[in-house]
Amino acid sequence: MTISWKRIHAIFMKDYKDFSRNLAVSLIIFLPPVLAAFYSRTGNGGSIETYYMVINMAFGMVAAFVQSCLIAEEKEKNTLRGLMLSPASTTEILIGKSSLSLVLTLLTIALSALFSNYRPANIGLIVLALFVSAIFYIALGTMVGLFAKTVMEASLYVTPIILLFSFGTMLPLLAEQYPALQATAYLPNIQLLEIGTKVERGGSFTDILPQLAVILAWGVVASFAAVSLYKKRLID
Amino acid sequence: MVLEFKQAEKRVHDSVLFPPFDLVLSAASVTAIQSSVNVREDLLGLLCGQGSLSHGELKWGEHTRSGFCFLEPGLYERLSVTEMLRFTRQLHSSSEPIASAMRQLHLEPIQHAKIKRLSYSEKKRVQLACLVLQNPSVFILEEPDQNIDLESRRIYLRLLQQLKEEKKTVLILTGNLESAVTAADHVYKLDDSGLHPVQLEQDVPDTATLLDSEETVTPVRFEKIPTKVNDKIVLFNPPEIDYIESSEGQTFLHIKGESFPCVFTLTDLENRLMPFGFFRCHRSYLVNLQKVREVITWTRNSYSLVLDDPTKTPIPLSKSKMTELKEMLGLKS
Repeated sequence: MTISWKRIHAIFMKDYKDFSRNLAVSLIIFLPPVLAAFYSRTGNGGSIETYYMVINMAFGMVAAFVQSCLIAEEKEKNTLRGLMLSPASTTEILIGKSSLSLVLTLLTIALSALFSNYRPANIGLIVLALFVSAIFYIALGTMVGLFAKTVMEASLYVTPIILLFSFGTMLPLLAEQYPALQATAYLPNIQLLEIGTKVERGGSFTDILPQLAVILAWGVVASFAAVSLYKKRLID
Repeated sequence: MVLEFKQAEKRVHDSVLFPPFDLVLSAASVTAIQSSVNVREDLLGLLCGQGSLSHGELKWGEHTRSGFCFLEPGLYERLSVTEMLRFTRQLHSSSEPIASAMRQLHLEPIQHAKIKRLSYSEKKRVQLACLVLQNPSVFILEEPDQNIDLESRRIYLRLLQQLKEEKKTVLILTGNLESAVTAADHVYKLDDSGLHPVQLEQDVPDTATLLDSEETVTPVRFEKIPTKVNDKIVLFNPPEIDYIESSEGQTFLHIKGESFPCVFTLTDLENRLMPFGFFRCHRSYLVNLQKVREVITWTRNSYSLVLDDPTKTPIPLSKSKMTELKEMLGLKS
């Protein structure tokens, strides 16, 4: 199967124009950088946990929220049917629809890191880890979008996800008190925090490989679920 | 052959949606199927490749590409008309020029407007322009002229004419017989009793002889037209009647937006109502000329009469009857 980049580009440009004119959704991408600036200026920042809380919040608010709204809006406005009936394949549509969220996510995180004065010891490894995490959150957003019927519903469903993955970064602190919470150590946001900590201590690629594999596994599972949900929606 | 229904049949929960029927669509033809909403949605699902027939099959010709125009506009509301068309063109890897599609649907004056600012009729035209850009071989239109203004309707009918000249196939699915008859060359009615063709062109010599007999015989006439409503017989004065429609051998009097079944055939009624200024404008329509406000020429061969009632009901007027009407009005064609 050949992938037409022209179609993916067309979907990306369309989404970009549509998104930039949709203030209700697009304003949220400024929240994580603003929060990052606020944290660092008030003196609460500086620890690796706060850096990653903001980054994970950016994942939840931009990757998951924006993606779910983009998909849900296609459903709400009956435009998804037009896309599905077009010659574009499932892969092309899903890549095209995810590319805007991916670009926005990485941009927001870069801005947030800049404002919170987070300078990772090894930028290459961190970018790789962020990219792999982004896949998981975008797939999650796609699922929420396909599951919801309207943008309103999607933004409601995505709220617990934002909460879990952003403030959830603090969950391991509670794990000492409630042992049941130890399982949460395998959540992708906490794995990402571990990568960040290891890289700060001068860890190499092989050091972070187990964490990266866990995040990738989350991403693959979520992507498969999103694609199968999309295929199911294709039929009805 | 572009598209063929072969003994297509659909049942839902033991009730028949439509019994087996055969229908072949060929190139350069405009076909309309008039049906209920349920049947229409089912047919559309079938044509989209979703849903299935209970029996029989749907066969597409080789290299047939279908394009749909659904009742729901399905446009990106924050894009401008040009951006929407450009996106459609790229998505479908089409080589059709945007400018010509825009001209065909008269979108140039609104090309930079955001779609959410357009009226419903304009959105419909943008939707049709998107379909033209896709350049499919079969155009499948769901209720294309429902709720649209006169100007858009004229543009739409002209587009159909043009598509026919380009040897395209058009399939219209609608619930409105008038819309089907005005737009299509072949009109069918599909319901739980099957697919029935609706005759379009009337045989001219037949009516000519009727007119002759009308002049020689002067029978005694009742002035009132009886209709049956729940076993009651209601009598109407001919000038009250707006128009009479014949559907599946049953005639219906339309009076102030309501319809009443009548026992007489359309030809009987035509003979009786001729002196009251009624006119057989179409094989299945008899109209009270006193109530006609406008005669609209859509294209060279399609016309409608518009009644002088609050809803401005359009009535189809067939080509051969147009000349007759002009004579009656004292206009030289």
